[in-house]
Amino acid sequence: MNLTRREMIKLSAAGFAAAALNISLPGKSSGDDGIVVDKWIKGTCRFCGTGCGIYAGIRNGQLVGIRGNPKAATNFGFLCVKGFKGYVSMYHPDRLKYPMVRGEDDKFHRASWDDALNKVVNKFKELHQNFGKDSVAFYGSGQCMTEESYTFNKLWKGGFRSNMVEGNPRLCMASAVGGYITTFGADEPGGSYADIEKARTLFIVGSNMAECHPILFRRVARHKIQNPEKVNIIVCEPRLTPTARIADVWLPADPGTDLAVFHCMARELIKNNWTDSWYIENLCRFSTGAKVVDFKAYEQFLEQFTPEAVEKITRCPAANIKEAARLFGSQGPTMSLWTMGLNQRTRGVWANNLIHNLHLISGNICKEGADSFSITGQPNACGGVRETGSLCQLLPGTRSITDATARADVEKSWKIPPGAIDPKPGFHTMEMFAKLGAEDDTSKPLKAMLVSTTNPAQSLPNAPKYYKGMKDAFLVVLDIFPTRTTQLADVILPAAFIYEKGGVYGCSERRSQLTQKCVEPPGEAKADLWIAAQIAKRMGLEKLIPWNGDDAPTSYKMAWDDYRECVKLTEHTLYGITYDRLKQMEEGLQWPCPNENSPGTSRRYVRGYDPLMNMAAIVKVPSNALIYFYGDKQHEGKANVFLRPYKGAEEPPDKDYPFFLTTGRVIEQWHSGTMTMRVPEIARSKPNAYMEISPSDAKEYGIKEGDMVKITSRRGFNILPARVVKNSLPGILFVPWFDQTWDRMINRVTIDAFDAGSKQPEFKICAVKIERIGDPKDVADSYVISDVNAPFPIKI
Amino acid sequence: MIITGSVIMVMPGTSQSVEKELLAFPQVTLQGKSDSGMDMIVNIEADDHNELESLCQKIKDTIPAIVDIGHIYINFEDEIEKIQARTWQDYYAPNE
Repeated sequence: MNLTRREMIKLSAAGFAAAALNISLPGKSSGDDGIVVDKWIKGTCRFCGTGCGIYAGIRNGQLVGIRGNPKAATNFGFLCVKGFKGYVSMYHPDRLKYPMVRGEDDKFHRASWDDALNKVVNKFKELHQNFGKDSVAFYGSGQCMTEESYTFNKLWKGGFRSNMVEGNPRLCMASAVGGYITTFGADEPGGSYADIEKARTLFIVGSNMAECHPILFRRVARHKIQNPEKVNIIVCEPRLTPTARIADVWLPADPGTDLAVFHCMARELIKNNWTDSWYIENLCRFSTGAKVVDFKAYEQFLEQFTPEAVEKITRCPAANIKEAARLFGSQGPTMSLWTMGLNQRTRGVWANNLIHNLHLISGNICKEGADSFSITGQPNACGGVRETGSLCQLLPGTRSITDATARADVEKSWKIPPGAIDPKPGFHTMEMFAKLGAEDDTSKPLKAMLVSTTNPAQSLPNAPKYYKGMKDAFLVVLDIFPTRTTQLADVILPAAFIYEKGGVYGCSERRSQLTQKCVEPPGEAKADLWIAAQIAKRMGLEKLIPWNGDDAPTSYKMAWDDYRECVKLTEHTLYGITYDRLKQMEEGLQWPCPNENSPGTSRRYVRGYDPLMNMAAIVKVPSNALIYFYGDKQHEGKANVFLRPYKGAEEPPDKDYPFFLTTGRVIEQWHSGTMTMRVPEIARSKPNAYMEISPSDAKEYGIKEGDMVKITSRRGFNILPARVVKNSLPGILFVPWFDQTWDRMINRVTIDAFDAGSKQPEFKICAVKIERIGDPKDVADSYVISDVNAPFPIKI
Repeated sequence: MIITGSVIMVMPGTSQSVEKELLAFPQVTLQGKSDSGMDMIVNIEADDHNELESLCQKIKDTIPAIVDIGHIYINFEDEIEKIQARTWQDYYAPNE
């Protein structure tokens, strides 16, 4: 057969697609002869928490293409636009290539690595000496590799003896952590993505999966379309998003009111006997939070949440709630999936608890197709930050820093003296930024911060409130592009992109996957792990962090092995997840994975699936228990069903600020847009933020499509174009948060109130007012900060 | 030039009619389909990513039985060479 190169590429491309669906293409080549690369290297995507498997095509030392990995258990080969195109930003000319130090002229100047690192280290030493061990903070990211988060955490908590360690998962996942820990005694879901295809009812809450986790949504949509009569979709979400459009039942509750909806559903489950008495008797403990009560008390508590009463609170039709409860309780197995709509709230932990309640009383958990499953927003919020304990109150293995046994175990693993780890938690993120400031400001105990792989100057709620602290303190930023945060920095350290260093990501379903280094970073940019280890070395902590060599794969493996040892005998053990296994396995491994013979765990807490059920060295489980929540602090193997009182948003609309504002992502852009806005195709398709408004509200305010509007809260304002859309309920506005342009940075408007338990801020809800200020204007500027010395838009 | 390896998912029982309607799009080459007929393996050819996106949208708008078009592989090696030759002036990034 004489094929042209184009025909060969077409056949090879079709072969990749066919392999993803296990479809044979008889008589046709499915090799990769037509694709001209030197090699394909296995890795993961870094543009959401799904954990899509990819292969990176390398030619002449350059990354020249991405294809989905058909054998990946997360995405089966499918990728979204960010997965295919996001890596292109690696080659953008704005990449930070050299260390930069701010000079006396207030401008950044190129420095050698030695000079830049010595400046950082000398300042940290000076501050430690003058203001104590807790004067220097680390603020990391759910996009750092696991090895990096673990290393920074070890350096701070084990080396500096300071718990001033936080990360941006505080802004997105903390309420999910709080929900799992308060209900089950242990963080992270018990099930897997594979439950999606086993579920008969899917309850999607506070999640626009179609845009934020498009590949997971594809799995949900395919399941529904292939089984239209058997599979039911419920979506609880104030906007009729692309996700809500596939729902059988839509629950359009006003922002922040859904606690009432969940309690009402629980009431309906009980009233209609859609409950599981075995689960209630054996696995549920009913609790007000202060005291244990019985099922009867729970039933009585729910009486206030009649469908009609709840409709008045929430605007969600009573009939919809009843039907949702019927599908949830009688058409199972049922799987719930949620993200930020539930978490980014002042009652985020409670909202999580109430979803778990529904699963527990109806027996929809610990079974195929039945789980209460929080989807993480970032690629490594679970693996990198939650599991390595890189938050102010945690230790590796998601253990509490106040737990003396856990501290002793970690001290032993890290070979540091007993008592070295401070038992007092550090500051959570919002407190950290509130208490960051100048050396001569006695009200600000934090004097320096090292920020890695995140952009708090754009991503913090009510962001301008925290600029002075960032500017006055000694701020060190590791990143790959100039950002709003680098504009406030004293030292910028150029970091490597995921494919320029490699490392492990752990996605929402407890699955660890290894990305191998593909290419060299540009200029003098360095792997983040090297930067962390060099700081450790220069601060005399080389014995604690010995992986400071130049070969990234070697260093990352050393850090991973150190981490595996540290969490070997914890509920989150991944001791059996070695680099060698991760290199060989196409789909990675799910923890608990206690040894190298373990296939990992697809379902926790269930005998026959979860190896820990038989590992007394880690958890004690009665030999006759088939399902046992071994994280239960009462050692009864039960989960807490909480009688949480109803409470709405911190700042509901009123006569002065009559609208709800809610914020979020769009499919094309990632977080603050620093990478995706540098991909021309993506930038062209979503070049600027905008405000979505319902037709009736638009009419009332004289706003037409494209008109410029001012949206104002008690904290700040934005000026941006209006989009009149039928998917917003009257009274609810939506603005995406990716735009770096000062006028359209919506976190100038959002509220920084936070959940009392999880300390996660209420990004999703605040009160605003609007006014039309002009005719349509072309603002499709795809703005990015290209110059590290570009002046900050306001005087600080 | 972009060449994809993609999956077109169609409503049950519509694969034959979709196959005929796809003939109106010369940029699409059908390479095979699943036993149920609901998943069609195709190549889609386009000059660049923008054209690919708009073409996919047009296909979906024209053939309502198509539920989804998902890409497993996109061959854009020519594009990469262009990307690597870019300078910052090639990007539209006006100062504030």
